[in-house]
Amino acid sequence: MLLNSKIKETIVKYIFFLLAATSIFIVFFIIYFLFNEAFPAFQEYGFSIFESDWSVPREVYKIGAALFGTALVTIGAMIIAIPLGLLSAIFLSEIAPYRVRTFLKPIIELLAGIPSIVYGFLGATLLVTYLVPTFDLLKGISIFAGSLILGIMALPIIISISDDALKAVPRDMKEASLALGATKWETIKKVTFPTAISGISAAVIMGMGRAIGETMAVSLVVGNVMQIPIPPFDIFESGATLTSIIALEMGEATGIQTYSLFACGVILFIIVGTMSVVSNILKERVAKRFKGG
Amino acid sequence: MKLPLDITKIQSFYTYLKSGTWITFPNIVFLLITAFSLIMILSGFVSAMNNSYIGDGVLRFLLLATGILFIIQTVKIRFKHHYTIKLLLPTICFIIILFLFAYFLPLFPPKYDLRPYEITASLLKFLVISIFLILTGLLSLSFNIRSFFGFTSKGKQYSAYIVLIFSILLILYPLIIFIGNITVNGIGGINWEFLTEDVRSHGQQGGIVKALIGTICLIIGVTVISLPLGIGAAVYLTEYAKGGIIVRIIRITVDILQGIPSIVFGLFALAVLVPLFGISLINGILVLSFLTLPIIIRASEEAILAVPGSIREGSYALGASKWQTIKRVVLPPALPGIITGGVLGLGRAAGETAPIMFVACVFLGAPHIPNLFAPIQALPYHLLTLIYYLGAYEVEQNAWATAFLLIAIVLLINAGSILIREKYRVEF
Repeated sequence: MLLNSKIKETIVKYIFFLLAATSIFIVFFIIYFLFNEAFPAFQEYGFSIFESDWSVPREVYKIGAALFGTALVTIGAMIIAIPLGLLSAIFLSEIAPYRVRTFLKPIIELLAGIPSIVYGFLGATLLVTYLVPTFDLLKGISIFAGSLILGIMALPIIISISDDALKAVPRDMKEASLALGATKWETIKKVTFPTAISGISAAVIMGMGRAIGETMAVSLVVGNVMQIPIPPFDIFESGATLTSIIALEMGEATGIQTYSLFACGVILFIIVGTMSVVSNILKERVAKRFKGG
Repeated sequence: MKLPLDITKIQSFYTYLKSGTWITFPNIVFLLITAFSLIMILSGFVSAMNNSYIGDGVLRFLLLATGILFIIQTVKIRFKHHYTIKLLLPTICFIIILFLFAYFLPLFPPKYDLRPYEITASLLKFLVISIFLILTGLLSLSFNIRSFFGFTSKGKQYSAYIVLIFSILLILYPLIIFIGNITVNGIGGINWEFLTEDVRSHGQQGGIVKALIGTICLIIGVTVISLPLGIGAAVYLTEYAKGGIIVRIIRITVDILQGIPSIVFGLFALAVLVPLFGISLINGILVLSFLTLPIIIRASEEAILAVPGSIREGSYALGASKWQTIKRVVLPPALPGIITGGVLGLGRAAGETAPIMFVACVFLGAPHIPNLFAPIQALPYHLLTLIYYLGAYEVEQNAWATAFLLIAIVLLINAGSILIREKYRVEF
């Protein structure tokens, strides 16, 4: 009987271990098959795959333009989302009265819960038709529209993670500053914000990761033209991102085009996966630091 | 110095208002400048959103009136508190800027073409001026408050608060526009026919019943696979694991899994699952389960860690084994938290398009009774196809209705998770 229950305990333990190890298998499989499918593209083009030259009739598929488009769209989105997100997070965590906070927090979570295809739909209908007369454009579909919609989508992530980071700053630090005669705003500026900076950078990295990896919304408003705009900072022209080009062309892709699209996937995986890991490490470090001190 | 408007004490505020002691010259100037600044911000915002221009006269009047009020305020302060010119210098600069704006802004051409600089856009007068108006309004609010408080750090604090409040209002604006538009345009399209019929003539007629069933099947399938996997992994990580290299690897892979963009999941499924099963429901279930797994693991871990160690030790002291303790003592109080996280993950899975678009979905012709090894119709994919059809067919009404339904489902799921959390919350 005793032996029996001991065996059972061990079996249960290993079952749980297997369940936990599933994520290793999944990630391993994803990495293996992604790289496996992308390998022929890297073999064909080598490092010249990062040049900008994508043409279906000539059957040349180099992904530089998508890489550039992703960078441009993400920078635009972050210019919108970082200041607004951080200011709102400070408002929510530090100065909003309790009632306002309990009212606004679920609303911001709601903003995060809207599916990206719905953002894409709103972008393709409302935003694009608004941009045409506002900037005197021929068509509203542009890199700028992609930046705007991604900025709005990255906001709730940046707000809720940096709100957590600001809330995690120990109270006695703030109170020490207040006791020295600093105003609340001076305390936020000189004590709370600098202390929470690693959690806030985790939030920014996470928001950036979301902006880079976001597919449906951006593919519906960015135009999917595999060209670097001329001049490169002309954000009112159509462009393409790594995600949008996969979403649009994977359906009909054959041969080397498929491999190049998988190469886009590999690059996305590497960039966003690294960002996610770094951001989580930062967050854990914050948790440890404040638990200890 | 006290704020003239103390909102927290409404009762005393009314008596204060009635008594009339607040009608002093500096207070009136302060309130007037505040009103003008708010009008500037609002009119700038409205004109930017409606592609309209408020007119040269109104613009000049707003800027000049604010400038003159600022001069009055500054002179008054200078004589009352004997501030040095150095302290007042920023305000004086701002006043000069206000007058310069009042002269120069209306001279901006109606349309400044950027095409000579190879940028395919123009700066339109209304946009430039509304941006200037919003910024000027914010600045004048800030200067107003600061000089009213006599350039103390308190004034600085309140002027910073203004910016913070402005930013949160700016965030709420798109949300209101989005939700409002979807509700107004979508709710008209929701009727019995829409909910109970299949797609007809490229989505111009008929409804979404099969897409609804498909999405429900996906949600059920994802629950069946990812919930046990996620909870099991969380139990191992919190209860059994004693650190070490394997646990660290598991944690890093969970982080990676959480970060993988949804389209990459789609690519993976296309490379691995489609050769095995063809385009079918099971691909969608599997790939969405992988996507929700890290969310569920994180939520479950948090919920299990919230169960205090003392009640585990109590259970061990009674002679219970580890598995018995987990089953009877640790999991029950952690369950509400786990379910909340799980439901949030499902909400995300229900709305995802990118992972399933190549591997599980068709727009038409899914079997009547869902089959694991046959393609499905799903709401997000249905919406995507309707968006592609927007220019070609009359599908706008149905697209709005589908978007409304999708948002309603996702939000109901999220609201449900919050309700579960509040209702069954266990306090230790």
